[in-house]
Amino acid sequence: MYVTKEDVRGIAAYVRIGLAEDEIDEMTRDLNSIIKSLEPITEYDLEGVEPTFHPIAGLANVMRDDVVESGFTQEEALANAPEAEDGQFKIATILGGGGGGQ
Amino acid sequence: MTLSFAEYTTLSIADIQAGLNKRSFSACELMHAANDAIQLLDEGKVDAFLSTTPELALEAAKRVDAELTAGKTAGEIGLLAGVPLGLKDNMNLLGSRTTCGSRMLEQYESTYSATCVRKAQSAGALPIGKLNMDEFAFGSSTETSAYKMTHNPWDLERVPGGSSGGSAAAVAAGMLTVSLGSDTGGSIRQPASFCGVVGFKPSYGVVSRSGVVAFASSLDQVGPLGRSVADVAVVTDAICGRDPLDCTSQNIVPQFAQSALAGQREGIKGMRVGIIPAYLEAEGVAPEIVLALAKAVKHVESLGASLVEIELPHDSAALSAYYVIGPCEAFSNLSRFDSVRYGYRAGGVRNLEELYEQSRAGGFGVETTRRIMLGSYLLSSGVYNTYYYPAQQVRTLITEDYMRAFEQADVLLTPVSPRTAFRFGEISNPTAMHLSDIFTIPVNIAGNGALSLPVGLGEQSGLPVSIQIIGPQFKDANILRVAAALETCYDIPRVAPPASFRQPQAQTLSSLEGGAA
Repeated sequence: MYVTKEDVRGIAAYVRIGLAEDEIDEMTRDLNSIIKSLEPITEYDLEGVEPTFHPIAGLANVMRDDVVESGFTQEEALANAPEAEDGQFKIATILGGGGGGQ
Repeated sequence: MTLSFAEYTTLSIADIQAGLNKRSFSACELMHAANDAIQLLDEGKVDAFLSTTPELALEAAKRVDAELTAGKTAGEIGLLAGVPLGLKDNMNLLGSRTTCGSRMLEQYESTYSATCVRKAQSAGALPIGKLNMDEFAFGSSTETSAYKMTHNPWDLERVPGGSSGGSAAAVAAGMLTVSLGSDTGGSIRQPASFCGVVGFKPSYGVVSRSGVVAFASSLDQVGPLGRSVADVAVVTDAICGRDPLDCTSQNIVPQFAQSALAGQREGIKGMRVGIIPAYLEAEGVAPEIVLALAKAVKHVESLGASLVEIELPHDSAALSAYYVIGPCEAFSNLSRFDSVRYGYRAGGVRNLEELYEQSRAGGFGVETTRRIMLGSYLLSSGVYNTYYYPAQQVRTLITEDYMRAFEQADVLLTPVSPRTAFRFGEISNPTAMHLSDIFTIPVNIAGNGALSLPVGLGEQSGLPVSIQIIGPQFKDANILRVAAALETCYDIPRVAPPASFRQPQAQTLSSLEGGAA
């Protein structure tokens, strides 16, 4: 057992995905099975091996002049917003229950 | 004249250019032929398309025809003038929906086009539509798409592979001349293999990923699928190169078509072809795959290449390294789906926290949720040093294996997939599904290029079998040269025979190795 139901509840909260209790059960099972399959990675002798975080070695930093260029217009940026108001993204109230909840 | 379906499906890119120049047909006729083929074969049969873009295709076709009328040749208009092209639905195309096969992006309208798409369009391609895929490219069968199952044109009861399943199936069915896919661990090569088309994943950095929805940014690469080596080479020429919007993209001289031509004309005499004996003894590799590879090896020998036996001692670590690195990067990349700027938004929530949690729960499917949660776990403090860091160290060992291998060989010849296309639902265990990519994943880990080349139908399954040709990093010319030479040794149908579009017959799982199509 690598992760308990309690761990999985914690991960779900951290990644902001609301899972129902039966989904937590199933996910606990799946994650344990997948993590078990990753065991080989813990069994290699990797003493002194440098990690490679990126497949292209020896890349130089890419620099450019700091010139202002137009990106999205406000209209384009808002085009796919589920809710917008006065040219801004609209979200739910940040704290509390917006009058209806805790 | 109008193009018949049979005529349309045999056209290569070179045929299209010649036909346009001789006025045998117009770009508008090509577009209509593509649309007719889709009408005939897609809905309820192959189901490769998530949406079509007839206005964009018509506009592009008219532009090509106008330039022809004005006296330009097809070649002067662009490498892909009049070529019907489909896009995996993780590629932004202005004027289309880009869903990534997810409910999360069901309503998402692209506000710009990906660089690879823009380049294809400016080369004269006709954007015909957007193609089905595993949700956010998480899968090897296209079964995790939130919208539909795409069927393998060689046997509608089987999966097309994945995650670029729609891209492979649409080309194999004859609906498109070429398509674009993306490949993080085999997602171009494996579906190309299952559907019997050519699929090319260039070296990491050859094609810009800007505008292609990211899965694992250190592994993702865009590439073409088509019915011949020459066609995928031309598409790569059209879409490759440095893009200021993707700092990993490299200055690449577009000589892919030239390399393919060299393979056809001059052959591969004197080239060194590496074979990996351990691959053929690997557990779970179907005998017909081993046989097909052995035949391909005979062909390269008869073409004058020399054979070298290669060892890749750390290859067995690639799969677990991939299933650490992939989910970690996906966890990070998919944090952007917050239902604020775009994406599915749940109703009836009381605060921002619930808005995030309910929207992400409602928008993401189970495989996506699994990978996000796995990535989060693997990156958590205390766990990071057990999996993530060693996975990146393993990446060094695998890369070094490849570098040593390519001191001895100019290309490696391997299987693409341990077996041919499987049935819907046949592999339901997530870890078992992961095994279908054992031969393709190491290539992404090392950042090299590789191509999936059809070599006929399997002796047992009767389904398409391909072999993989892997090249040294950024020497993708080697791959295309060998692939084009080897292609001349086979006489293979370029599209699935219409007979395989018959109503699926009831077949039991035990008749798996039985002979379909």
